[in-house]
Amino acid sequence: MSFNSLSDPRRVNKIIRYKAPSSDSNPTLEDPTPDYMNLLGMVFSMCGLMLKLKWCAWIAVYCSFISFANSRSSEDTKQMMSSFMLSISAVVMSYLQNPQPMSPPW
Amino acid sequence: MGSPRLLLIPALLLLLALPYSKGRYNEEFDDGEDLADFDDNDFAEFEDMNDDSAAEAETAPPSRASLASQPEEDEDEDEATVELEDGLDGDGFEDSETQDQDMYSKYDQEEFEGIGDMEKTGHSMKDPLIIHTVPAHLQNSWESYYMEILMVTGLLAYIMNYLIGKNKNSRLAQAWFDSHRELLESNFSLVGDDGTSKEGVSTGKLNQENEHIYNLWCSGRVCCEGMLIQLKFLKRQDLLNVLARMMRPVCDQVQIKVTLNEDDMDTFVFAVGTKKAMAKLQKEMQDMSEFCGDKPKSGAKFGLPDSLSILSEMGEVTDGVMDNKMVHYITNNAEKIESIQFSDQFSGPKVTQEEGQPLKLPETKKTLLFTFNVPGMGNTSPKDMDSLLPLMNMVIYSIDKVKKLRLNREGKMKADRNRARVEENFLKQTHAQRQEAAQTRREDKKRAEKEKIMNEEDPERQRRLEEASQRRDQKKIEKKQMKMKQIKVKAM
Repeated sequence: MSFNSLSDPRRVNKIIRYKAPSSDSNPTLEDPTPDYMNLLGMVFSMCGLMLKLKWCAWIAVYCSFISFANSRSSEDTKQMMSSFMLSISAVVMSYLQNPQPMSPPW
Repeated sequence: MGSPRLLLIPALLLLLALPYSKGRYNEEFDDGEDLADFDDNDFAEFEDMNDDSAAEAETAPPSRASLASQPEEDEDEDEATVELEDGLDGDGFEDSETQDQDMYSKYDQEEFEGIGDMEKTGHSMKDPLIIHTVPAHLQNSWESYYMEILMVTGLLAYIMNYLIGKNKNSRLAQAWFDSHRELLESNFSLVGDDGTSKEGVSTGKLNQENEHIYNLWCSGRVCCEGMLIQLKFLKRQDLLNVLARMMRPVCDQVQIKVTLNEDDMDTFVFAVGTKKAMAKLQKEMQDMSEFCGDKPKSGAKFGLPDSLSILSEMGEVTDGVMDNKMVHYITNNAEKIESIQFSDQFSGPKVTQEEGQPLKLPETKKTLLFTFNVPGMGNTSPKDMDSLLPLMNMVIYSIDKVKKLRLNREGKMKADRNRARVEENFLKQTHAQRQEAAQTRREDKKRAEKEKIMNEEDPERQRRLEEASQRRDQKKIEKKQMKMKQIKVKAM
């Protein structure tokens, strides 16, 4: 493109393509919340399943929701879905085994 | 042979009699007292039990009556052993029952099963009725599941907040882009690029990295390589974050990073911003901590408000950057400016490694970094985005200004000296580590050689290789000795 008038600062020949910066730096350095919540969700759902604790299962559902809300767009949806399904199954199994309602701690 | 079958019938009778006899006086079995003497028929056992159960049943309801009739007991005791068949059926059956009670109490407690219980239940009849609550899961009501309903309500609230927050962030981003689009398109030939398309054509829209972070890459201008704009909104889609923000208000931020070519900027490091931000930069940023050793100075000399302070490599740089127009821009938008950094040695925050210092100097890039706060302190509306337009004008002006700003001879010398000093310090600090690294490399090489010699099967070749390595080692030692001698001579 020919050199425009001095007032136009645009230069097509100087275009440089965008390079995603996260490929260089560690993405988890920026915000570890979704990964922590994912892990917590899995831990709580396993506790809920093994120890038959209803409140653990419910907290696991909450953790997986929080992880989903904070997730980056580059993150795997499969991981998110699997943790979500695991927490839901923990809740369902706890209620199937013991249909009594949850008692509050107070 | 028929005895098992015969036993069945009284067993059935017993089962049937038990519920019926509890509530009323069963006249039939009153005569059973006759058979208290052990008869030699098959039914004897069971009839005794029947009598017992009948008698026990009757002690329960009329226990109140028995209380009343207790004074009569003494009189009755004399007649206790008299068989009740002597006409005590009709009148005063209460007496007969109390007699039964006494009679049975004289017997062995173990012989009559359940009589203790009957006495107890007799006592419990004196107490008021206790109504036990049915366990919750057996009730047919939703009220008992209130904790679960609470949980589900919480989840629904979270989902609602997610949708609302996501929507708001998206609208804010779009509003920002709409108000800045014209300015950007008149300055850059490439506005919006996600790096994936084959040709460098403007996408004309923001990249959504997250539900709260939006990127925009602009390129194709004189005086700079490119400009990356990051809209760092608050996490409105996460309810936890929303609640945390109620305690501690935070702003949305717009971060603009302009990368420059080698000849677009002279060598200097400069920053201006809020006092807190300057302190943080000086502590955390690699270039700020190395080149701007002095504490942040007040900008009152240039007419800046007190909330802002300046970090600079040298006074000349400050004078050069802070011209009238710049001061004008900053003063008018002081509440929106978080920090502005101009640096030719920009490499990001300090890298802390576990083994100590990194072995190589970090890569530097000539960069202008602007961080602006969106007004509203979290409660922003799309209209507020227009107020950021003058700040974008300032950015464009800074890019052009930095290109033109050149240090004089003295300044340049000072700057070069600073950079050399920093590099030297770095090399000194890592000297020990680099030595170690070189040593390990040499040892690895030797080990590899030795292994090669060991693995060599032909003895002849083995010997030759060993001799070769020995000769090399000898040469090295000689060289070192020569060096030491030379140093000694020089020292002398």
